[in-house]
Amino acid sequence: MKITDAAVYPFPLGDASVRRLALEAAALGYDSIVAADTPSGTYGGVEVRSGLMIRDVPVKDVISAVKRYKDAGKVISVQAANNSFNRAVIGTKGVHILRGIQSADKTAFDHVAAKMAADNRVAVDIDLSAIIGGRSVSRQRAIHRYMDIMVLEQRFEFPVTLSTHARSLLDMRHVRDIAGLCSLIGMDVPDVERALAGVGMVLAPPKQAVTVIA
Amino acid sequence: MSTRPPTLREKRRYILARIEPAGTQLEQKDLYYAISDATTTLWGDATTAIITPAVVALEHGHVVIRCRRGTERELAIALSTVTACRDVRICLRIIAASGTIESLRSRFRPKKIPKTKTQPGSEPETEKNPAGADAGIEPVQPACTFAKKTFQILHCNGQKVDVIEKGFKNTNRLFLTKDDLENLNATTISDRI
Repeated sequence: MKITDAAVYPFPLGDASVRRLALEAAALGYDSIVAADTPSGTYGGVEVRSGLMIRDVPVKDVISAVKRYKDAGKVISVQAANNSFNRAVIGTKGVHILRGIQSADKTAFDHVAAKMAADNRVAVDIDLSAIIGGRSVSRQRAIHRYMDIMVLEQRFEFPVTLSTHARSLLDMRHVRDIAGLCSLIGMDVPDVERALAGVGMVLAPPKQAVTVIA
Repeated sequence: MSTRPPTLREKRRYILARIEPAGTQLEQKDLYYAISDATTTLWGDATTAIITPAVVALEHGHVVIRCRRGTERELAIALSTVTACRDVRICLRIIAASGTIESLRSRFRPKKIPKTKTQPGSEPETEKNPAGADAGIEPVQPACTFAKKTFQILHCNGQKVDVIEKGFKNTNRLFLTKDDLENLNATTISDRI
């Protein structure tokens, strides 16, 4: 099980180089990070996975982008929008993570989308920057939305990932702090451990339901 | 007013946190307001009154925060939501919690190195680290190049290098490593790391 921060933004999107983010991640207890627009590699014992964040595009463009980068070994994540968009994205083979559910509308992720996510092994991302950096109404809304996601997760058992969306070292948090912040949305320690390993779970090849022995 | 006997005093705990980025100059009062604000916005007035956060020490880039015993977890969660102090971006990395301040002080106070006697005839030891007062900090280089721009090195510790662009237009701090600087000094490396 690899403890992974599912989204960080190194230079030039952020103010820290990917090596420095990897060093900091190692100090904070992570085994790997998903870095946007960065080649994969290992720095300071931390595996850096290349991430592709797709946002503000129609479903057609999402499908073509997924086709293009399917075999590139990238972690492909799509920004959530309305319900029909999210269902279409979850149904697209090759999409790993659905992000930004806290900023989508209230009905963007319902029980049908949750069932589809569980069947297609698409993770829903919990963006902790909304809790860390948000204040008053925006934070309350994010906490409420995440609690709702966790209710669906308990029922349908779709993968969940945790990310800090760090654009700086100062946005990253220790794994211990992550567990504390996740307790605000009703996640206990096993839930947090499972969510921190969520990226590895969605990237692992699916187990076959039936194994032919001979 | 006479002090209460120990059995009637409320039990307290102290949390030690490191302030990042290194070398940030903060006032104790400003930091208290930042922590109090973070605690109040997260937990509300009632719970903050129970936690009773207070900054009791701010030295050597570390802060000791006092809280009521049993509320360390709530305070720790609130501390992880501290992102700025007087418009200066900071982050508090919790190191330890203890029942006494002194045990925490021993964790961040620089240890005194006993002076060795110099042998007659040998040259006295020159000061190897004039810029960094703390142990473990390497001598600071004046400037470096990164992404075809000249930066001033603010802090250098091991592999970690914090730089700031020279000039008055862009004063954002960048967090790099020595490898980044070496690569970017080469002519074949692109702007992106």
